Amino acid sequence: MKNFFGRVFNSEFLTFNEVLRLKVTIVTIFLFIFVILSIPTTSLSDFTSDINLLLPISFILLLLITIILLIINKNRTAMHFSIFTIISITIYYLGGSDYFYGFILFFVALTIIIFYQDIYTYLVYGGAITIYALIYINTNGSEIMGANSASLEISNLTYQSILLGFYIVFLIQFIMSDNIYENLNNEYVRMNKVLEKYHDLSMEHLKEILEKNNASFIYNNINFQQTISELSVFVNEFFEDDSADILEAVEFYFFIHDKDIDNIVEDKRLNVKTRKHANEFKKYLLNNRTEMVSMLFEFSTLFQDTEPFSDNRYEYNINNIFYNKVDKLLAMSIIYKFLRTEKTQYDKWGKITENFTHEQVTELFVSREFREFLTFEQVNFYLDNQELFDEYLT
Amino acid sequence: MLREPNKYVFSQLETYKEKLELEHLKKKTIIVNMLVFLLGALVLYLLLKIGRDFDGIMPLMLTFIFFLIVNFSFYSYKQDHYNYLKILMYGSVIFIYFISIMIVFEFQTPSSFTGMFLAYAVTSIYQDYKSIMLSNFTLFLTGSLLVVRFPEIFSISNGNNPDTFIVLVFLLVFVLLLTLSSLILIKRKTFFYNQLAYVKEAELRNIRLLLNIQKILGKNEINQNSYYDKINAFSKAVSSKIGVDDIFKYRLILLEDLCKLNDIEFTNKYTDVTIEEKQYISQMRVDILSKIRTISIKASQSFGIKVSKKEVFAETQFKSFKHSEDSNYSKIISFVTFYTLLKINKPYLKALDEEELRDVLLNSEYFHKVDRDIMNIYLQNSEVFDTIVNAHLKEDEL
Repeated sequence: MKNFFGRVFNSEFLTFNEVLRLKVTIVTIFLFIFVILSIPTTSLSDFTSDINLLLPISFILLLLITIILLIINKNRTAMHFSIFTIISITIYYLGGSDYFYGFILFFVALTIIIFYQDIYTYLVYGGAITIYALIYINTNGSEIMGANSASLEISNLTYQSILLGFYIVFLIQFIMSDNIYENLNNEYVRMNKVLEKYHDLSMEHLKEILEKNNASFIYNNINFQQTISELSVFVNEFFEDDSADILEAVEFYFFIHDKDIDNIVEDKRLNVKTRKHANEFKKYLLNNRTEMVSMLFEFSTLFQDTEPFSDNRYEYNINNIFYNKVDKLLAMSIIYKFLRTEKTQYDKWGKITENFTHEQVTELFVSREFREFLTFEQVNFYLDNQELFDEYLT
Repeated sequence: MLREPNKYVFSQLETYKEKLELEHLKKKTIIVNMLVFLLGALVLYLLLKIGRDFDGIMPLMLTFIFFLIVNFSFYSYKQDHYNYLKILMYGSVIFIYFISIMIVFEFQTPSSFTGMFLAYAVTSIYQDYKSIMLSNFTLFLTGSLLVVRFPEIFSISNGNNPDTFIVLVFLLVFVLLLTLSSLILIKRKTFFYNQLAYVKEAELRNIRLLLNIQKILGKNEINQNSYYDKINAFSKAVSSKIGVDDIFKYRLILLEDLCKLNDIEFTNKYTDVTIEEKQYISQMRVDILSKIRTISIKASQSFGIKVSKKEVFAETQFKSFKHSEDSNYSKIISFVTFYTLLKINKPYLKALDEEELRDVLLNSEYFHKVDRDIMNIYLQNSEVFDTIVNAHLKEDEL
């Protein structure tokens, strides 16, 4: 139970699939309690006793299917089954004599669908339930009309407009949050790719340092390999007794460092386990800029001394950083000079020995991406005087 | 093991997160106001339809108008906008429920009670942890009080009145499910804000790291004289072409002196240049990690980056040692390799001692990047880890 709540409270660190699994589990628990609670009320419904017995059993069967699907990690299908269950329960209640409960269940069913936070599921199932509810109110409105209602028409109109409003407001919320997350995520992914470029450069420089010192990568060091083996065996002992397999995996991890991983992964002659391990280890290799190397670089930045936050800390557009036109043009000239003279680009052997040519800088300046740094006005000044930039700033 | 999750969070993130959140909060405030306006129009229509006179309509309509005026005033007040909008948000949540309770008492029907759910939906637009908790609490409290204290509101015309207990159970299920749903959603939203703020700060720090590594290679030195001489010549040529005085002359002299002179010499020479001006001009220095150098490095790496739709929600975007598709062996080997590398001197990071490393792994976001079982094994056996590393590695460097 503690673990379960721990997962809810740390759900932001779970993958999308894990979050979905957690949600289906919560809904299944709720529905299970709901079904158990609904059994005593079956006597209130208008169905025959056979149906009153069969229906709760079928709800439990639906829930069992959901649980089985969760166990075999078919979380999305499990989600659909949990929605089928609540829809069935709603229809069951609507068929009885307690119409008001049935009507409230429309909201509960919509709530469960909202809980999954999936816009297409909400549009399809939520839309279907809302349409059904609107029709239901039209045909059975008198059964849920309040004693104080002015008329059946007003009562129906109130029920319908509130339910439709509820559906539309949550639809707006879905669209809005999808939009916000997509934008945030898009920017995050883009920034991550830029970070990877810095890491690529840093890694190339580290290789140059090794070359300069006639040293080799740490993964070639026997003591290092021995340490990783012992630590891996130690940790693995908490999961399984036999250490032979993990030792083999560690050996393979070091072995593939100097091999072409893509060839290993695609080589159909090798067994599936070998290819799977190669594919998994690819992101943890130490001889290139991999996920492991990026994490090491990022870890090291935790210890950097930096200035406190200022308003233009993450601002890179010279138009927003400098006040007057002259400063903006001077800043653009410095950027041009930097791009033309500093070695920031790779040659065909993957070494950082190249700088941008005038044509490449022009292409950069006029590109859409470069609006992050320069305005059109500044680029126009550049284009009007580009021969001077090329002549003097190289 | 008690964690201090904020111990290693970059101090600059909080302010930037507020900036990010403010943009979205402004949009949400507008949407909520539009929805309340529409709700007001619907209520007015219903009141007219049931034949209420002017005196019967006015109290509710004035409440709606008051809500919109207060929102407009707070929204327009630009100073400390973030905090004012937050206060407005909490106030609006309570006010929206106040309006919905007024509607319930005005109509006194079960249909008007369902308006409370609509109130909940409108307040959920904010997607804010505290406001959603406030909304859940208010819904459950007011809903329960209405059900228990005013059961006549739920009277059905055919006499088949709902059971108070069952309505309360429905209410509880509704509130609990939506609380959990909001909790998960808001945690995810906060996570994205954190990640985006983190990645912005990480960019600056990684540029600094890159320059530090270049420094070890002796590659980060920029010949400022050559820079400013060339820009000076360029300035003269451009000025002559467009027919003005040497446009960059004064700035270039200041920049050169900023590089050559120390603080006191500079202040003595330029008595009319204020500290703020000096800081402003320093942003264009090329000899240090200034703003312009950061922009130039970023500009040199920011081209050709394409983000596909598929990548946007891919789990692989989040670096970790616990990818769901990875086997347990991969999770173990990747973590112990990472751990061991942190215990070794590297050109860009000195070896960490066990106490420091354990503290960072426990209290930083790296805690969540490692499989929980493996992390627990490490935390409970960190001395064994340390002993194994010390037994084999002492003087090694990457």
